[in-house]
Amino acid sequence: MHDPIVGTLLDDAPCGYVAFADDGSIRAVNATLLEMLGYARDELVGRHFESVLTVGARIFYQTHFFPLLRLHTRADEIFLILRARDGTDVGTLVNAVRRERDGEWRTECVLLRIVERRKFEDALLRAKKEAEAANAALVASQGQLEEQAVELEAQATELETQSEELRTINEELMERGVELEEARMAAENANRAKSEFLATMSHELRTPLNAIAGYVQILELGVHGPVTPAQLETLGRIERSQRHLLRLINDVLNLARIEAGRVDYRIERLVVADLVDSVLPMVEPQMAERRLRNEVTVPASLVVRADREKVEQILLNLLSNAAKFTPPEGSVHIAASMHDATCVSIRVQDTGIGIAPEKLASVFEPFVQVDSSATRRAQGTGLGLSISRDLARGMKGELMAESVVDVGSTFTLLLPSG
Amino acid sequence: MNVLARNNVKVFGKGTQPMLFAHGFGCDQNMWRFVTPAFEADYCIVLFDYVGSGKSDLGAYDAQRYATLDGYARDVLDIVHALDLHDVIFVGHSVSSMVGVLAANREPERFARLVMVGPSPRYVNDAPYIGGFERGEIEGLLETMEKNYIGWANFLAPAIMKNPDRPELGEELEASFCSTDPVIARRFAEATFFADNRADVRDVRVPSLILQCSDDIIAPDAVGDYLHREMPRSTLHHLRATGHCPHMSHPEETIAAIKEYLRQPAAA
Repeated sequence: MHDPIVGTLLDDAPCGYVAFADDGSIRAVNATLLEMLGYARDELVGRHFESVLTVGARIFYQTHFFPLLRLHTRADEIFLILRARDGTDVGTLVNAVRRERDGEWRTECVLLRIVERRKFEDALLRAKKEAEAANAALVASQGQLEEQAVELEAQATELETQSEELRTINEELMERGVELEEARMAAENANRAKSEFLATMSHELRTPLNAIAGYVQILELGVHGPVTPAQLETLGRIERSQRHLLRLINDVLNLARIEAGRVDYRIERLVVADLVDSVLPMVEPQMAERRLRNEVTVPASLVVRADREKVEQILLNLLSNAAKFTPPEGSVHIAASMHDATCVSIRVQDTGIGIAPEKLASVFEPFVQVDSSATRRAQGTGLGLSISRDLARGMKGELMAESVVDVGSTFTLLLPSG
Repeated sequence: MNVLARNNVKVFGKGTQPMLFAHGFGCDQNMWRFVTPAFEADYCIVLFDYVGSGKSDLGAYDAQRYATLDGYARDVLDIVHALDLHDVIFVGHSVSSMVGVLAANREPERFARLVMVGPSPRYVNDAPYIGGFERGEIEGLLETMEKNYIGWANFLAPAIMKNPDRPELGEELEASFCSTDPVIARRFAEATFFADNRADVRDVRVPSLILQCSDDIIAPDAVGDYLHREMPRSTLHHLRATGHCPHMSHPEETIAAIKEYLRQPAAA
């Protein structure tokens, strides 16, 4: 049955139609809309128009659609989502006009179902949102890039500053290096001058000392008349003092000559056993006096390349030290072996008083003896080890010391093997 | 900054006590046209559009400021200061009721009465509180809004609006929605429907009238009752008018209710 108000023509029109009063109650609805929503006519007529809207559409109706109708009597192309009887949403485009009809104000609406267009609009909205998001991301990343650029620029500036500072420091260092080199050369020159001075002075000192020795002998021999026993004893003391002074001067002269680079080395192949044999007799009386045992472990085959006189001087120094600083009944051991492929070691090991670890490093310094009491007990100039090491190094060798207090010391002379 | 131009402020009427009418979400000051004539003789009528609505200056829109109702309350106070209004009768529709609450809480000395048409302190349910909506249903509104703004406003309106040679196009837009910018409209919807002013209404010291409509899906009866219970010095008046816009659908009843309220001494 057709709606009496709508009539047959509108009832079958290919669009929905609904008319409702100002209070929202539906007065008329066409068959197309009923079919669209799945309602029977008597289910809808009398109901409130809002009741066929989704909640979102109801709010929109109240806040937008209704005011438009009131203020302008019409509203065009309004998108409203209707709710069908089965709960499904039906998107529609609505044109509405509010007019007086049959003695009351009514709003008449034409509704077009939109399916494809709604999808298209959804896609359009999505695309727009994505574009906006992408744009926002781009703007953000551009901002980040700009920040990074600023940071990089700051870092570059800092690096430049640092590089400038480094350049300045480098220049200063180079200047200082030049200064140091100059200072070093000045020091070397001064040292050489000192050594030359000492060498000269030692020679000048030996002449009068030799004269003293000569005149003492003349007196002792009674050339100038008889000598009393007391006078003889005094002359003996003068003689001993003269010899000590002469030895001291000889050592100073040696050291000075070495330091001044005035020593010549006559390098030749030398059998180590021969060297030991030639030196040992010189200290044997001293060792015998202190009842020291003496051991020699030197393979006959060992050969070194060195200056005979200098090696003998070093060995004599080491052996006489060992004899001096080893208490009676002790022992002195001379041993030699290959140190490595190119080097022979000759060791002089004693059971003497030893050297404290903190003093060991300085025993090779000129004028150093381990302590003054030991110096007094064992007369010496304190130059022997210093001269010995200089000589060893002059022959491309080395002199080293190891020691344990109250156990003994071992001095090792390294020399290039022959 | 010229507040009066920014908010498209209109002042008229023969009285001295100001009646400041604030439109709701989705509308502009034109919605008051059926009501204001009844008050012209006795009051100084002040109408305005919130920034982003009607003929306000869209260039003054600040997304941060208008992200919450606080920004809209500042619009109201800006106008109160610009016109140096005192003893104001504030009439707010829907969301503007809460804007009035916020403004009156900030500067109570400026306001004499609050008239709230279809007010709600919170639209989304928060058990046991009943606001009338679930959060997802508000999302449905946002979708409907988007679709309604897509056809012209989203893509064409900016171009049309900037065409000074064809002012009639602007007029046509005015005949359509009151907020012409879809982004602004969406933010206003969010500020409105996701607001929670339940704490603010308890602090109100200015006497108020709650005009509760019948069958109002946006502000149901339960909300009106809640407000009356929570708001000090409030008066609850039930209208026979149905829907959410009684000042448009039933202006006479609305006018009568307001006049009657203003005649009465304020609730203690």
